Amino acid sequence: MPFLIEHITEVVVTILFLVLLGTGALMVATIARRQRRDKYFQRIDDLRQRYSPVITSLLAQKLEYERGLAVLKGISGRDRIFVLEQLCLEKRPTLDQVPILRRLCEDLGLVKVWQQRLSGRLDASTIREALGRPGGLLERVGRLHFLVRAKAADNLGIIQHRPSWPLLVKALDDPHPDVQAVAVRSLATIQEPDSFAPLVARLHAVVLKPSSTLSVRAVKTALVSFPLKQTVGLIPSLNYSNRRIRFLATDIIREIVERHAAWEEEFVLDAKVFPPELSDVFLNQLCFDENPDVRARAAPVISHLEDPRATPVLLTLLEDTQWFVRLHAVRALAKRKYLSQALQVAQRLTDLHWMVREAAARTLLVFGRAGSDHLASHFLRTEDRYSREQIADEMQRAGLIPSLLAQYGSGEDGAEGRVIEQFAQMGKTSYLISVLQSSSERDLRKKFLQGFGRHPDPQIRAWVRHLATREPDEELRALAEATIHGAVSKGES
Amino acid sequence: MEEWRQIFYHAMNMFNVVIVSYFFLANGTYTLLMLMSLGSVWLHNRQLSYQGLDELRESAVTPPVTIIVPAWNEQTVIVDSVRSILRTDYPSLEVIVIDDGSTDGTLNGLITAFRLIKMDLIYRPRLVTTPIRGFYLNPRIPNLLIISKENGGKPDALNVGINVCRTPYFCTLDADCLLERDALLRLMRPILRSPINTVASGGIVRILNGCEVQDGKVVKVQLPKTRIERFQVVEYLRSFLFGRTGWDLLGGTLIVSGAFAVFHRETVLETGGFQHETVTEDMDLIVQIHRWAVHHKRKIKMKFTSDPVCWTECPSTMRMLARQRRRWQLGLCQTLWKSSEMLFNSKFGVIGVFSFPFHLYVEGLGAVVEFLGYFMVPLALLFGMVPVTLFILFVVLSVVYGAFLSVGAVLLEELTYRRYPSLRDLITLLWYAVLENIGYRQLVLLFRVQGVFRFLTGFRKWERVVHVGAATS
Repeated sequence: MPFLIEHITEVVVTILFLVLLGTGALMVATIARRQRRDKYFQRIDDLRQRYSPVITSLLAQKLEYERGLAVLKGISGRDRIFVLEQLCLEKRPTLDQVPILRRLCEDLGLVKVWQQRLSGRLDASTIREALGRPGGLLERVGRLHFLVRAKAADNLGIIQHRPSWPLLVKALDDPHPDVQAVAVRSLATIQEPDSFAPLVARLHAVVLKPSSTLSVRAVKTALVSFPLKQTVGLIPSLNYSNRRIRFLATDIIREIVERHAAWEEEFVLDAKVFPPELSDVFLNQLCFDENPDVRARAAPVISHLEDPRATPVLLTLLEDTQWFVRLHAVRALAKRKYLSQALQVAQRLTDLHWMVREAAARTLLVFGRAGSDHLASHFLRTEDRYSREQIADEMQRAGLIPSLLAQYGSGEDGAEGRVIEQFAQMGKTSYLISVLQSSSERDLRKKFLQGFGRHPDPQIRAWVRHLATREPDEELRALAEATIHGAVSKGES
Repeated sequence: MEEWRQIFYHAMNMFNVVIVSYFFLANGTYTLLMLMSLGSVWLHNRQLSYQGLDELRESAVTPPVTIIVPAWNEQTVIVDSVRSILRTDYPSLEVIVIDDGSTDGTLNGLITAFRLIKMDLIYRPRLVTTPIRGFYLNPRIPNLLIISKENGGKPDALNVGINVCRTPYFCTLDADCLLERDALLRLMRPILRSPINTVASGGIVRILNGCEVQDGKVVKVQLPKTRIERFQVVEYLRSFLFGRTGWDLLGGTLIVSGAFAVFHRETVLETGGFQHETVTEDMDLIVQIHRWAVHHKRKIKMKFTSDPVCWTECPSTMRMLARQRRRWQLGLCQTLWKSSEMLFNSKFGVIGVFSFPFHLYVEGLGAVVEFLGYFMVPLALLFGMVPVTLFILFVVLSVVYGAFLSVGAVLLEELTYRRYPSLRDLITLLWYAVLENIGYRQLVLLFRVQGVFRFLTGFRKWERVVHVGAATS
């Protein structure tokens, strides 16, 4: 026993000594690191103070290029490249600054270094720069790793260096997924037309190989950022036997088209921007695809086509067996040019799926007054409770209740009154009452009081009671009191 | 009599073996996690230099996210919190605040601040919840929805949010938390970049106490004033920077802080949403998803990243700290007990073989072992079973090892994010990393043991931690 205890004590003492030493070392390392980093950042800050105004003036074209370049070329030291990188790419350049920044990076020799790093060649400056910067051994060695290649790919993307696109395409096969992902992103930023095909090929590879280290979303994001004219390159994918590839290709085109549509109010896909063979694929093939996801994503593209076949195809999709295809078709019709299809859209207000009903109501609201009338008329006419609920929901969300009450207060036509009546019957009076409570329109409140004051809805009743006791306007107060008494005498309270 | 003495000696010896094994198992694992985290966090920090947040921000492919904020009696913080959330830098963001039957001015404060109007909207529950009292919207702020409901607890409030939210992903956020502007974008990055279906992503929660806040934004990071808060800063660094990072690296993420985490909505719905059986609904959900994935043969991933930051107020009094730690421990025990099938079950991979047993034996039962150790080891000394020298050495070792791990966490912070810019704060942190092991650790241990005791006695009540607004503005 004493022998064992002695040994245990020895072990504990050794561990204690080591841990104590380790704790001390960690503390020293923490403080030393802080001091070293402070010095380092101090240097960077000094450089930034001296050179950032030069770069800013160069990018704003307020300083003669050659003069600015000469100043920046004066930066020396073992970490020159790193410092220049920090200074030049400190802020994300705007579109008009990119050409100047690109030229600057080329003239400072940065582009050459980045290209070398991306291609995996470690030039003297990279090694010198990596070893020269502060940090431990791990950090120094790490700088020679994939991080360098990924950062180089990123930098080439930021300055949109077009001649580097073949290198970036090559980087799609880099052993490290980070480098692949950054290369995909940089290719998207550069938008070299010839790089579209390799990216499409990469999309196929990612879908077909489950072990792929790149995410589908990363490649899709890159392809989506290309201009509309590139979509022709997706025709083989639209005809591909794999249903997921067909879906992704359709969805990429949809995203590109939607982006362009967001820029232009009266956007139309005509033969100039969207070749007829592509339109044909959408109108003859994709809208009948066996994959419902493809049919669904084809609808928004078809809705922008300047082709007489588009509307009948969309109306067919409105009747699709899959609810989400109907949903996308209804949403696709949410353009003023499809006003004539309002009736068909209104029919979807009784769809079995609530999201289609919701989309139909929203689409009708996009049609303006005519659409609202369709909505109101359906609201009053339908026997379908779900459809009614959905319309009431949308009218509230869209903030239509104040205008409904305003029309009711000023109009002769009883349609608004019937809509309000319907709301009251459904017990959906919170919004109506809150508008009335905050309204200063005496006539509106009077008319509402006369028309609905005796309605059994608890919120209306509470509002009337409130008027009868707190309303400063004597006539309204008297009317409210009379309404209450009338209701009491009829036994309605 | 002699026989009883022998039994006592034997039991004491056995316990001493248990406590020594526990000591080496726990500290060994923590050291391993720390070393792995050192590499992982350092690398992650370098990778951030080419992360491409701009691309995520501008891409049409980035999916919309709903931030769900459960709130119960949060009138002091809720309006500022929502304002701060609405400023979050994310391309398509919706915010749903669930007022869980507050008895203070939470709802009225929101109605006034955002000019909300009560609307009678359709509620389509896929998860069962307590009834809704009303929906509040302002058509001019279409991405903000406030829901008032009967009180049903935090899991119930979150489930209402999941029922109402439309986006494929949702983010849970505590009402007293402040998000850094790009935190959500950073939190979504691992989900968007991963080729495997990532169903949960957690970020780091840092302590707001002592920091300077302007317009719902942390403008100056500094250490809090009181000792109890400073100890918690060290604890949080240790827990998030090397605890969770280490387990994430091993693929053994078992805890994602519900104070700030993103989940895949459909997956959560399929697993039944947040459950009421435990008082730590966030951990429970994570374990539930792991079980669901194995039972349904789904390949999923959960990710913890250390750069998305959410600031939260930590308890500033001992009473509140006790409540918080008792609840955490109780929830841990409840969740582990509920999912005992995962223990040493190789079907669950790293989770079943390493992470779950570690959380059970070290984080759960370990509290009791360590606590008893404080009594049994001196007892053994009293009966002459342990030499005085060894006893003292062991006590010193346990304190020094704790300090070693905490100092490691501070170093990790310094190597990566350096959120505390003042050298004085850094030295104070190091000092508190050492000091934490004398007194504070034992106190927290006592609260944890109380939590275990509550679990054993079937206690299920959620103890509320009252926030006092410890940040300066």
